[in-house]
Amino acid sequence: MTIRLGRRQFLMGSSALAAAAAAGISPAFAQSALRLIFWGGQARADRTYAVTDLYEAAGNPGLEAEFLSWNDYWPKLATQTAGGTAPDIIQMDYRYIVEYATRNAIAPLDDVIGDLGEFDADQLEGGKVNGQLYGISLGANSVATLANKKAIEEIGETVPDNSWTYADLERLGEAFKSAGNGMVAFSDGSGTEPMLDNWLRQRGLALYTADNKLGFTADDAVEWFQMWNGFREKGYIVDAETQALDTGTPESSMVATKKAAMMPSNSNQLVIHQSINDDELTITSYPRIAPGVGGGHYRKPSMFFSVGGSSADPAAAAAFINFFVTNPEAGAILGVERGIPCNSAVREAITPTLDEQSQIALNFVANLGDLVGALPPSPPAAAGEIDLNLLRVISQEVAFGARSAEDGGKAFVEEATAILARANA
Amino acid sequence: MTVHAADAAPQDAASGTSKWSRAWQNHAPGYLFLLPWFIGFFGLTIGPIISSFYLSFTDFDLLTSPEWIGLANYERMFTNDRAFATSMRVTFTFVLFSVPLKLAFALAIAILLNRGMKGLPLYRAVFYLPSLLGASVAIAILWRQLFAGDGLVNQFLSIFGIVGPSWISNPNYSLWTLIVLSVWQFGSPMIIFLAGLRQIPQDMYEAASLDGASKWRQFWKITLPLLTPVVFFNAIIQTIEAFKSFTPAFIISNGTGSPINSTLFYTLYLYNEAFSYFRMGYASALAWFLLLLIACFTAFSFLTSKYWVHYDD
Amino acid sequence: MTIDAPKLTVVTGAENDPRARLRKRIFSVLAHALLIGASILMLYPLLWLLAASFKPENEIFTSGIWPSLSWDIDSYFRGWNAMRVSFTVFFMNSFVIAFLCVVGNLIACSMAAYAFARLQFKGRNFWFAMMLMTLMLPYQVTLIPQYVLFRDLGWVNTILPLVVPKFMAVDAFFVFLMVQFFRGIPRELDEAAMMDGAGPWRIYWKIMLPLSIPVLVTAAIFTFIWTWDDFFGPLIYLNRMQDYTVMLGLRTFVDSTGESDFGGLFAMSVLSIVPIFVFFLLFQRLLIEGIATTGMKR
Repeated sequence: MTIRLGRRQFLMGSSALAAAAAAGISPAFAQSALRLIFWGGQARADRTYAVTDLYEAAGNPGLEAEFLSWNDYWPKLATQTAGGTAPDIIQMDYRYIVEYATRNAIAPLDDVIGDLGEFDADQLEGGKVNGQLYGISLGANSVATLANKKAIEEIGETVPDNSWTYADLERLGEAFKSAGNGMVAFSDGSGTEPMLDNWLRQRGLALYTADNKLGFTADDAVEWFQMWNGFREKGYIVDAETQALDTGTPESSMVATKKAAMMPSNSNQLVIHQSINDDELTITSYPRIAPGVGGGHYRKPSMFFSVGGSSADPAAAAAFINFFVTNPEAGAILGVERGIPCNSAVREAITPTLDEQSQIALNFVANLGDLVGALPPSPPAAAGEIDLNLLRVISQEVAFGARSAEDGGKAFVEEATAILARANA
Repeated sequence: MTVHAADAAPQDAASGTSKWSRAWQNHAPGYLFLLPWFIGFFGLTIGPIISSFYLSFTDFDLLTSPEWIGLANYERMFTNDRAFATSMRVTFTFVLFSVPLKLAFALAIAILLNRGMKGLPLYRAVFYLPSLLGASVAIAILWRQLFAGDGLVNQFLSIFGIVGPSWISNPNYSLWTLIVLSVWQFGSPMIIFLAGLRQIPQDMYEAASLDGASKWRQFWKITLPLLTPVVFFNAIIQTIEAFKSFTPAFIISNGTGSPINSTLFYTLYLYNEAFSYFRMGYASALAWFLLLLIACFTAFSFLTSKYWVHYDD
Repeated sequence: MTIDAPKLTVVTGAENDPRARLRKRIFSVLAHALLIGASILMLYPLLWLLAASFKPENEIFTSGIWPSLSWDIDSYFRGWNAMRVSFTVFFMNSFVIAFLCVVGNLIACSMAAYAFARLQFKGRNFWFAMMLMTLMLPYQVTLIPQYVLFRDLGWVNTILPLVVPKFMAVDAFFVFLMVQFFRGIPRELDEAAMMDGAGPWRIYWKIMLPLSIPVLVTAAIFTFIWTWDDFFGPLIYLNRMQDYTVMLGLRTFVDSTGESDFGGLFAMSVLSIVPIFVFFLLFQRLLIEGIATTGMKR
């Protein structure tokens, strides 16, 4: 409601029509049903609607659910939030939860969410901002290497297991090179933020510290770019031009276009990638920096449900979220589409019903073993900007040879520090 | 509005009805015909425009109230923003090449199609088709298939022994694939040119033919001069649209401006500032600077138009 | 360039000269060859799209650039009913909105254009400049204030924010377009009518509009197509799926982070073009006939 005041100030008087109408006409959202908004594809929508139907059938208030694609979702949510008409239940991403929570655009849930049963502690922790619970994780997830099983076996190799290292990446790189079938071992991961994060964590560092600063130095960044430059020069990974064809959508990825046999991805994306690929795919861990070194991975909340800051009935909205993550019947409908369920009863109930790819994903996340390290603090404001605007650009500049690895590493740390200082002042 | 002021005038009998009623007769019809536009302008359009101007002097993160920061946004633009300079360069290059090429294609094809040849409606439809497709996800996928390293364009070039780069993902060429996309969708100006050509009275050509003027001469002396209002319109509109061009770059690079920042169009940058990084205040300042640029260009065009645009009035 | 001139001169004069006829034929063949070549370039993407819509999901991105033929009509049935609300509803919504926008634009823009092109009134140039200014500001920054305005009017969640502005000539593009064409109509025509005692309304209705069929048809075509293709307005203002337009439906097919039905996307993309293409074909005929029947007399 703080928004209301500011907005009025700058709009008042600029339009006589609006002022006149505001007095007479009731708000557009006077309906009693809860509003739910989420991003996702048709598969997710089908499952989600089935759960809202189930919820209504159990005698609860009805829901009006709306879903959009990722790119359309954020401008619409921002517009609605600015207009004070945000939905009651909002699907939230790890990247934006801090931005929304610190501005009260989503409401704290500690008092309203109720009993979540036996719920993974790290997943609850992941939904906290400044010690308060703002999002309920809809599934756990881990970074993973997506691998084209068929292509790797065709050249007489096997998909590496979770013990594999960057040295194995080079060995596979050599194997693909000598096979000479136009496919290389790996995509260019130098601009992939989670991969850099994973690599830093294995070295005992972090991308960001708890006090919103960079957790590494320019030397680390230089070494990172140098490592990938080495892979690129030796032909183990795709060249810069090819990598730039990947715009971040599944269908433009290096594995989908069969340019590379492996690429950094997430455990819950195996299903999506398999649906657009005629070769058999699987997942394995990110490579280790040396044999036996772990601690790079962590179980990350794939996405959250949050309650809108302007919701008229936060308790009712929270009740639905509770049902969504704890009801076994709902869990059976949702499967692992949003990640591995965090409620242990739900997880056990659905395990036998899963298809093959979902089983692989579930087993992968459940058996990370020594790969798992501590959960990192929630990312600082502007983390998204550093990823999209800085790491992406500089890694491409280095890959295309417009900058040296040394220069790129230094510039990255320098500019990221400046962005963090500005955003978290 | 202004109409009401004039409305009261006829009662002012003392000064003689003639002056006022003449003023009423002269001005009222104009305002009456503009009435719907005035209602829209004052009721719907101007408010948001003024708001965005105000926001350009604030720090506004979309989620909380805007905070007045004076000229800081404008200052940052020129002193501390490399991406701003990049996006300027990208946009100017795009405008400079796509607009003239697109207009030239549109005019050439329109004139060719205006000759009354067989199959005319078919050709017209075919040439308009790409514009119907707009900028959809399907176009993005297709464009990658055409301009990738092993795409159709390079397969064609390899016939001549040329090994082309991956046009769409090489920072030296990626902007050009977007210029090609823009030129390829020349359907709208073409249709406007055609409508303009159609409006030229046929009897003027007949008269000129009788006088023995060649087709070529007729083109220069009749077609082109009478078409100048439409040429003027297309040039202005296409330039404005090119400056504001957003969707193709957004679709093709999935909103990033990749590779490096070679397709970071001005409005794409502005959009990311507003909705990805929650800096609507800064985005508004960017928008108003763009408006200033376009307005200067448009004003200049209107000033020079009296030397080359021929109206019948 | 200068070489062409004599060549063309001959054509007008001597219909019976066999050499001239031959030359004319050669020219015609060349022109057709050029146009057919260009047409293939223009059509290729559509053919590709068409082919992709008949392919099974996992072949779309890997089968190369030449459309290979396979007839998997399944995508069409799947796509049509993929969402909770079928595409029948989306198509109906799009038709209603596009139709209303065409009507609104034709009436309001032509009135405003007539005022700017022909009528004298105080501040004409100023208001014209104001109108052009509305074209220049990127919509991204007026979006939120506009949303707040429509919310205060109680219009969010209805099609009113998409349709009503068209009846108020907010599309400066069309006003400007019509102004340019109206100014091309000989002024003697209105002057003659004025001598006969016709008022501005009569001149607008009886002279300007009938003589401007080409530009009105153009405006109708563009309005229909652009409204049909627009997704941003519907995205922001429509919340209920049963109110979605075709374009909004299409966009929800593909989510960059989730499982997407590409087969369905391509199939529905093809179908979504059909109405606007048919509209274009029907109206472009008018574009020609309009001229033939009104034929200007001077």
